[in-house]
Amino acid sequence: MPTVLHQALLIAAKDTRIFFKDRFAVGFSFLFPFLFVIGFTLALSGQGPDDSPLTITVSSQEETEAGETLMAGMIAESPLTIRQLDYDEALAQVESGDLDGFVSFPVGFTQALTEGRPATLEVVTGGGSAESAAALRSFADHVAGELAAVQNTYSALSLLGEAGQADLDAIDWSAALGSRDYAIRFEVETVGEVGPFNASNFTLPGYLTMFVFFAAAMSAEAIARERQTNTLERLMSNGTRREAIVLGKFIGASYRGVAQLAVMWTVGIVAFDIDLGASPAAVIVISALMVLASSAFGLLLASLVSSVRAAATAGVLASLTLAPLGGCWWPLFITPQWMQSLAKITPHGWANTGFNKLMLFGAEFGDVTQEMAALLLFGVAFLAFALWRFRLTAS
Amino acid sequence: MTAAQDFLTASSLHKAFDGAQAVDGVSFTIRQGEIFGLLGPNGAGKTTTIRMLSTVLQADAGDVTIGGFSVGRQGDEVRRLIGVCPQELALYPELSASDNMIFFGRMAGLSGREAKAAARQNLETVGLADRAKDKVDKFSGGMKRRVNIAIALMNRPRMLFLDEPTVGIDPQSRNHIFETVESLRDGGMTVLYTTHYMEEADRLCDRIGIMDHGRLISLGAPRELKARIGDPDQVTLESVFLDLTGRSLRD
Ligand SMILES: Nc1ncnc2c1ncn2[C@@H]1O[C@H](COP(=O)(O)OP(=O)(O)O)[C@@H](O)[C@H]1O
Ligand SMILES: [Mg+2]
Repeated sequence: MPTVLHQALLIAAKDTRIFFKDRFAVGFSFLFPFLFVIGFTLALSGQGPDDSPLTITVSSQEETEAGETLMAGMIAESPLTIRQLDYDEALAQVESGDLDGFVSFPVGFTQALTEGRPATLEVVTGGGSAESAAALRSFADHVAGELAAVQNTYSALSLLGEAGQADLDAIDWSAALGSRDYAIRFEVETVGEVGPFNASNFTLPGYLTMFVFFAAAMSAEAIARERQTNTLERLMSNGTRREAIVLGKFIGASYRGVAQLAVMWTVGIVAFDIDLGASPAAVIVISALMVLASSAFGLLLASLVSSVRAAATAGVLASLTLAPLGGCWWPLFITPQWMQSLAKITPHGWANTGFNKLMLFGAEFGDVTQEMAALLLFGVAFLAFALWRFRLTAS
Repeated sequence: MTAAQDFLTASSLHKAFDGAQAVDGVSFTIRQGEIFGLLGPNGAGKTTTIRMLSTVLQADAGDVTIGGFSVGRQGDEVRRLIGVCPQELALYPELSASDNMIFFGRMAGLSGREAKAAARQNLETVGLADRAKDKVDKFSGGMKRRVNIAIALMNRPRMLFLDEPTVGIDPQSRNHIFETVESLRDGGMTVLYTTHYMEEADRLCDRIGIMDHGRLISLGAPRELKARIGDPDQVTLESVFLDLTGRSLRD
């Protein structure tokens, strides 16, 4: 008898052949996603700041000199165009729709910071475009990251007694900020370089994730059909091991997923001018892990349903629920915190967060290892469940 | 003439689904090189019996040996000896006849070259050599049935299980299948053939077991069975079944 792996590869090759003979399945997996990407990229870029590089508006309500220095330091160090506005005026502009939003430093911000207490940054957004909100959030994140580092340094100095009393005005904020080589720092630079925000940078990974999972979910239907026509049972009486069938279905679905990746990323780069960010390797790894998780997800579905009809329904429902939950339709970072938390129960959410960090916020490989681990965990868990529950016959 | 050897022995097979006995204490032997028929109405338990004999369904109780190997303990050895043609068309309609056969052949351990040669030969056996490259989807019902049988031959089995291989097909394809099965038997193949058509069993089978409600209610050569109720040249297996059960086989 051939080995389990050999049998699995034969099954995967056979499934791939059948897949490419099915024009609907091919169109659905490879063309559909682009219709969505084109549609939503156009829709979103219609309202963004199209040709001017991003300008971030900040407002300080601080009256202390420290606040002023902080602001000055930030403006000096940031590669972005930063505009300073009075709080009330900024608010009025947001209300009138002239401004998409701004970041505000409330009264007492610097004081809290230097005393080691939690300091809150305020992000005010109007009904403006998603990408402006994204940029503002990303900027606020960046500032928070930098200031947290400064705060740590400052506390350390206080402990050593070198700074003695908090002499706020004496701190050289510009030097303090500039001296930090902080991971999140890159976020802002990337946003700055990209200039006009390319909405494809989040629509494309979102729909890639959605359609890779959708196609994998559809494979559950094919498995249910094979159960019904007894091909799986026939294979078993022919000496094929159950694990070979599960593994073969998994590998076959992964082949298709990888083909989807290759097409989507290539077309994305060539035709949509997407930017894979600082670590294209990390984008590839996240994509690959996302494909493995999706293939295992298809098997999980196939293990849960018995009839072909149930498999089809479950596939569509699961795909259409998990996609928005997991941030495939709009960026997770503009959603409320509870939605971001909820997204963590979906593999889609981890994949999208990874893609967004890499492609929008300039994260490096090391910044998305958590997302990679989560996707791997989903894949392993789904596959383990399938190996445990997968049935070869309909009844 | 030497006494024919038993190739398959089934004793006291039992299988219940949700408390209902689908197969209820069935015992029989099949001799090497014979066509053994299981005749019975729908729901009699024929398919369930075949599934237990062919290692895909575990019996609740009972023993089966095939070619000297225990189905329960030596599944791998048994699977190497048998070819199974299920009642359903267990094939891939999207693929060509020969691609279907090559796939199943390779899954059974043939090399690519061996599988290709075996596919050609077996398609010839069922009379479809000229349609090898055509998609099974485009075939008539009878042709699909013949591919279904040809696939079961891919691992060069010594015993063939055919579960209702002629359901719903034209007379020409049916005759073709009869001839195929007879020529396989003449080549030394042992065959288990299930059907609910009594003329089929009468014409084709060396011996017949009549099944009803999960039990084997009669066993013997067609002539023997008929002789039990009258002149074997006059009575039909239909009347044998009626005599045994008080019902018609076609109900
Ligand atoms: N997988 C199954 N689950 C539940 N009941 C079954 C299953 N397979 C067969 N049965 C029942 O067992 C009985 C015998 O069925 P089967 O072996 O298919 O008969 P036959 O092949 O002679 O038509 C029938 O009553 C059928 O409904
Ligand atoms: Mg049956």
